[in-house]
Amino acid sequence: MKRILMNKIVIGLFSALLALPAIAQEDELKDLPGYVDFGDLSATYGEPKITINLGGTMLNFVGIMSSSESPETSDLISKLKGIRVQIFSMDENVDAAIDQFAKTKSSLKSSGWEPVVQVNEDDEQVLVYMKMESGNMEGMTVMVVDEEEAVFVNIIGQLNPAELGKVMESFDVNVDLDMD
Amino acid sequence: MNEYDEKWEDRINALLDGELSADDAELLKVEASDNRELARAIVEAYQLQQVMDTIHVERAPDSLRKRLRAVPRQHRAKPVFSLMQPRWAMALAAIPLVLITITLMRPNTPSEADVAKARQEMAIAFAYLDKAGVVTRREIESTVGQTMANAVTGSVNKAIQSQNLYSKEKKA
Repeated sequence: MKRILMNKIVIGLFSALLALPAIAQEDELKDLPGYVDFGDLSATYGEPKITINLGGTMLNFVGIMSSSESPETSDLISKLKGIRVQIFSMDENVDAAIDQFAKTKSSLKSSGWEPVVQVNEDDEQVLVYMKMESGNMEGMTVMVVDEEEAVFVNIIGQLNPAELGKVMESFDVNVDLDMD
Repeated sequence: MNEYDEKWEDRINALLDGELSADDAELLKVEASDNRELARAIVEAYQLQQVMDTIHVERAPDSLRKRLRAVPRQHRAKPVFSLMQPRWAMALAAIPLVLITITLMRPNTPSEADVAKARQEMAIAFAYLDKAGVVTRREIESTVGQTMANAVTGSVNKAIQSQNLYSKEKKA
């Protein structure tokens, strides 16, 4: 009995150790002003079809790798601390999703985020918010909900909007997102 | 030898010498049925006595016989592996420390494949930013017409830039 208990403790310890890096990375981002707590999105939308979590270390390496192609891109990327993306299919429960969207919107407003773009159509909603700290843009959040999918993007770190467009161009954004 | 071993030894010796009362012998039997170590000690002592009985030599003093009977138990090999033993418990406690040390000391350099994957993920994130821009542009077009839309914004990025400037001015 004691041996079984000890084995369970050992397995639990190993599992906790394996999860440590991911937990540490998320915790590190949570303290930054540009971080947005979207809440438990899977409770409303189900399991995400795409989840992206890029931390500061990885973005630094991407920046270094990009320096030979474009110093401008490299510079912008190295200032980013994190990129978080969650994309959900909108198979059902559209009303609940829109309610949740409204809650996130109000939570952003109350925590000092400024709305930049708001599109409120029956079948499509877009929100772009940014977080300013001491005159610098410390984060950006983009949320898109349409009949097909719900998208939550949070970019954390110092952003220069003028450079962002150029970086997006350099990344040759041609992913088919089915915009029709 | 612990306290229990000494107690067993006396009782086992008394049993083999026929000095244990019937009640005590029964009690020892009951204990042995629940305790494998005690049962084994009794069997081993009995077997040793059997062997000694077959050798017709001068009977050894009782004190020596008792000591000899106790020898197998005293020199029995300890179980090879038990997580509850102190040395194993210490070793297990050290494993997380070793793993954390290795993790901290390992150079935190992602492979080229990891960086390529990260670039691809960034492209996806930017594609969705672009999607927000396209939706915004379409909304402006449907509201104020294409000419005005072009004048107001080519992408959501311009809207962000203007808001950024406005915030900075407000701050100043």
